[in-house]
Amino acid sequence: MNSIREFLDAEKPEGYGKRVLEELSKLNEKLNAFNNITGRLGEGMPFSVKDNICVKGVETTASSRILKGYMPAFNATVVQRMLDNKFSFIGKTNMDEFGFGSFGLNSQKPARNPFDENYVAGGSSSGAAVATSVLKYHVAMAESTGGSISAPAAFCGVVGFTPTYGALSRHGLIDYANSLDKIGIMARHAADIRYVFEMIRGQDPNDTTSIEGKYASEDRKRIILVDQLVNGIDKEVESSFMGLVDKLEGMGYKIIRKSVPFIEKAIPAYYTIAMAEASTHPASYSGFKYGYKNEDFTQHYNQFFTSAREQFGEEAKRRIVLGTFVRSASVRDKYYSKALKVRSLLLHELEGVLNEGFILSPTMPIQVPRVDDAGSLTPLEVYKTDIMTIPPNLCGLPHVSFPYAYHKGMPLAAQLVTKQWNDEAMLGLVDGWEKGFKYRFKYNIGELR
Amino acid sequence: MKIGLEVHVALPTRSKLFCSCRTDAEEPNTAICPICTGMPGSKPVLNEGALTLAVSIANALKCKVPAATSFVRKVYFYPDLPKNFQITQKDDPVGIGGEISIEQGKKVGIRRVQLEEDPAKIIRQDDYTLIDFNRSGIPLVEIVTEPDISAEDELRSFMTELKSILYYIGIDIDKELKVDLNISVKDARVEVKNVTGMKNLLDAARYELQRQEKLVKAKQEIVQETRSYSEKDMHTVSSREKESDEEYGFIFEPDLTVYRTKGIKTAEPVYASRLAREYAKKYGVGESTIRELIMFNKESLEMIESYKGKHDMKPILNAISLLQRYATAKPTAATFEKTVGLLEKGFYPDKEAILGIESGKKVEAHAAAGTGEIDKEIKHLIKENSKLLKEYEKNPKVFNFIIGAVIKKYKSNPREVSERLERILEGFKR
Repeated sequence: MNSIREFLDAEKPEGYGKRVLEELSKLNEKLNAFNNITGRLGEGMPFSVKDNICVKGVETTASSRILKGYMPAFNATVVQRMLDNKFSFIGKTNMDEFGFGSFGLNSQKPARNPFDENYVAGGSSSGAAVATSVLKYHVAMAESTGGSISAPAAFCGVVGFTPTYGALSRHGLIDYANSLDKIGIMARHAADIRYVFEMIRGQDPNDTTSIEGKYASEDRKRIILVDQLVNGIDKEVESSFMGLVDKLEGMGYKIIRKSVPFIEKAIPAYYTIAMAEASTHPASYSGFKYGYKNEDFTQHYNQFFTSAREQFGEEAKRRIVLGTFVRSASVRDKYYSKALKVRSLLLHELEGVLNEGFILSPTMPIQVPRVDDAGSLTPLEVYKTDIMTIPPNLCGLPHVSFPYAYHKGMPLAAQLVTKQWNDEAMLGLVDGWEKGFKYRFKYNIGELR
Repeated sequence: MKIGLEVHVALPTRSKLFCSCRTDAEEPNTAICPICTGMPGSKPVLNEGALTLAVSIANALKCKVPAATSFVRKVYFYPDLPKNFQITQKDDPVGIGGEISIEQGKKVGIRRVQLEEDPAKIIRQDDYTLIDFNRSGIPLVEIVTEPDISAEDELRSFMTELKSILYYIGIDIDKELKVDLNISVKDARVEVKNVTGMKNLLDAARYELQRQEKLVKAKQEIVQETRSYSEKDMHTVSSREKESDEEYGFIFEPDLTVYRTKGIKTAEPVYASRLAREYAKKYGVGESTIRELIMFNKESLEMIESYKGKHDMKPILNAISLLQRYATAKPTAATFEKTVGLLEKGFYPDKEAILGIESGKKVEAHAAAGTGEIDKEIKHLIKENSKLLKEYEKNPKVFNFIIGAVIKKYKSNPREVSERLERILEGFKR
């Protein structure tokens, strides 16, 4: 199933592009998928861009009040490569401020789940997932640091792919935690993701950490279930997930169970590194060069910059404080340096497991939560819901979330993880899955008949 | 008493350390881009030329260059720091544990050599603070010494040796080096930040030493602190910030990678000071004469190197200083050979003669006329003062005024004139 080919081959009626964007804008008032819709839909396949990825001359805020009005002077490399391949940019998608969040609620206007607005969209790439779920022909440039593609893709019932760290250039990405940030792709079908991934990946002179990967395509027909990722989770999620496992067994996959106790160290290590790196950036948003402008030049030095700081949301402030603490000299070895060690040990351990086959788990340990319920969770409870998405993110391993069932009208999703540069084979498995399972969508804006 | 230095050297690369902006712009904020102004979304990309130069410096200062070098974020907030952190080096700098030999016969240890970016420049004007980002991202090498300097003359020698080594790597030493001085007379270490220029450096060190010694004499405590030097008042003042309490929260710079140093082609270091000593010994000429010619002059050194086997050292050195004074362009081999040739025959070419040699005229007669004229003038002056000839036997210095007069008239070399005078007076005696 390749909707890009289908779209390009189809005859579009007069005024098609305009109508699509009008319908989208109207629905956006309800779902808050986009921070802005530019209204320039040309002949190309539409694509949206998460609001922390720079598009030249288009307001890019990472959903933060402090970056309001920031107009990048350049395109992110992935955006430029999409434009060079005649894709049509339609707008910037909503997200948790700077990527800090798992449910999309850390935004001034949180995105809503397209299946039911009383439910969260997931985060931090909330808008990218909602846009993918409502537009018939569209791919989303999203970004993941600790699960920001998998989580919203799971809750909105779309396919969300996070590639090997370094596969897609980060040039033009507003940093959350540079050693963990990965640009990725969301779409309705794995084939569309493969098409776009092949088109935009590769080394970029503007990002030192980008790599011309040595891609393999290795599918050993084996699926590994890690005890620590499938035990002790929501009962409904667990039982329906076992249904998926049975079906994959029916497709010829051998199921292997394994215990990897060390994987439980991933969450503390991840949050330590993520916050340490994240806390080095926000002070540069100082209110006089770009974004939010403090025009009162009569204020004294400290006053002037303190008033800029007031623009940060609560979660951003929390991460600045925690991250600054774990970097400080007296505790650096205890936290930051130790977390770096955990990361390399875990990568080593997971590489061993992944040499045997794909790791499969539910994407999230919970069903899609209602907005009210998610909003009342403590920060620690929220961080714990990232248990499945954090290990591959911490280690820069490719992973993809895809829907496999619907419960009470809401999607349930699973996540596949593979070893570095084996992205293609993993997407191939999802492609195979789609041949026997039809995804459901509530909206199909832009449908061509 | 101990003095340690942190010397900041701007590298002469054409583009900045992490972006392609040029480094020589004069009008404020004209050589800037999203990277060096820290625009969200921009990423640094290392200028490999700067890394090569930094490794060359580390190598010339006899440091151990680690197999791999990496960068860190030094996080602090100041309006001249557009990213809120400076990209610098900490655990794996380009050089560790080197040394510089100084004239006093001792060695000053080099603790580390690191590559880092310069912040923007802050200009205070009336009620405003203006920021020029042209300087943001200029590559700097910071050279940190051990506290091995223990006197003012050692400080001067160290700086001269360091500058000469840097000069031969291609660093523009006319740009003033920025130095942080760490001085301790007793236990407390006082840092004097941001001193520029040799004179200021020596003045600041002298002032600070006297200040601390006075406190010791009066049995008062020396406060461990950071001070700044005021050029106008020639003294240091406390700058209130407490360096030891500062917290930079260093983390590995994740936008860059680990850089291998193996295979980097470094510049061959030149130690002019050591060469001067060797040549002086080997060829029996004055060490200070050679030092003067070669410490900061590549062309002179090249000429010495290429002619040292072919001619005596003395006429070579004379030819170099004559050509330096009078030649209009870089001397060709032919010009050099002719000049040395004349000197070897006892002629002393004047300005006119050198210009003649350069333009390829037949010059021997001309140059000879030049020296002939000097001889004529000397003879003339002796005759005019022939009364003094009697006195000359007892006091050989009695005719020395002639040297001054001739130099003034012909702008000739003092040593040459005095030799001629001596020779001519010999004739008068006979």
